[in-house]
Amino acid sequence: MMGFLTGFLLPCLYAVMACVAFCFILNQRGLLLVVSSLGGGVGWAVCLLCAFTGSDVIQYFAGAVAVALYAEAMARLLKAPATGFLVVGILPFVPGGGIYYTMEYCLSGNTQLFLSTGIHTFGVAGAVAVGLLLASSLVRLALPVFQRRSTR
Amino acid sequence: MTDYDALLNTASTMGIQMLESGAEAYRVEDSLLRLCRAYGVETTEIFAIPSLLIVSMCDPDGHSHTRVRRLYRRGTDLHQVDLLNSLCRLVCRETPPFPRVDGELARIAAGTGYPPALQLVGYAFVAAFFTPLFGGTLADACCSLVAGAAIGVLKLWMDRLRANGFFVNTLCSMAAALVAIAGVQLGAGQNLDKIIIGAFMGLVPGVAITNFMRDVLAGDLFSGITKLAESLLTATALALGAGIALSAARSIWGVI
Repeated sequence: MMGFLTGFLLPCLYAVMACVAFCFILNQRGLLLVVSSLGGGVGWAVCLLCAFTGSDVIQYFAGAVAVALYAEAMARLLKAPATGFLVVGILPFVPGGGIYYTMEYCLSGNTQLFLSTGIHTFGVAGAVAVGLLLASSLVRLALPVFQRRSTR
Repeated sequence: MTDYDALLNTASTMGIQMLESGAEAYRVEDSLLRLCRAYGVETTEIFAIPSLLIVSMCDPDGHSHTRVRRLYRRGTDLHQVDLLNSLCRLVCRETPPFPRVDGELARIAAGTGYPPALQLVGYAFVAAFFTPLFGGTLADACCSLVAGAAIGVLKLWMDRLRANGFFVNTLCSMAAALVAIAGVQLGAGQNLDKIIIGAFMGLVPGVAITNFMRDVLAGDLFSGITKLAESLLTATALALGAGIALSAARSIWGVI
């Protein structure tokens, strides 16, 4: 129970709170602030749930897909641009750590680790970007089909 | 009879405001096309990239009317994107007279973001919450809070001086790393890496990565590549700044 709290609930809460703080920088307001910050928490929860795969590239990919699906759904529900939900929700998945460690290995002269960390960081950023792309295009492809069916 | 000049001015102003507040190129092009169509002009061509907007239309006599707007500064203001998006929907539905739309646009443009103090708190708490998320302790989070605040102060001040983005990011990340090093040296924090990474997160190119992908998705490769370059530059600036601070601390003061 304690493990669930500190290993799952707390990180998600941190992610949501960090996104709330980020909204103050990007001037996201009111209801949209709350909804878009929750997106970060949803994404991080999915990311943690995929920990069994043992690969952070897959984890980040799954998280990005979750954020994008959430954003597209909320954009249609609240009639607001999906951009806002995406930009805020994707923040925890931007590989700031990768950037730092790559620089660190570069400084310490460890070329092997520098290169492998750099490429890994690229991989993570690419996974996040592809996750966004796939989820958003799937929603756009699928939505007209459903809408046509419901009006028929 | 549509007043082409007024339509051109209104549309280009709306487009430039959307680009300025960080909307994607495809959103701008799509919105303006809808807007012009709502006023009965079917011959509109729009071209938007992060630094330029071209609106051109042809009247029934065969004269073309074109307006080119150059954009020098871009930020992210999600509230404005939302307001402009709603305004565009409303205008397309009701096609009000142009002066009214222009008035609305001016009102939206005059709206400001959160007050600087709140933005500062934003930078500080982004840092403070990301540090424990990436495995830092509570003490690290407190150090990170200070480092994030340092980033916020520098960033807001430098933006007011209109310094260039690469320089601002380098400087901010350097300041954050210096605060983090000082914090660890004074015994306040334990994990230097977690503190610096947390403080970074307020500056990382998340917006650029997201919008880059959405532009590529919409087929706007030109805008997409521009934003990809922007995100790579930002990442380089962050690494550079922290790198300078770390190597200075190591070689000059011999710490860490």
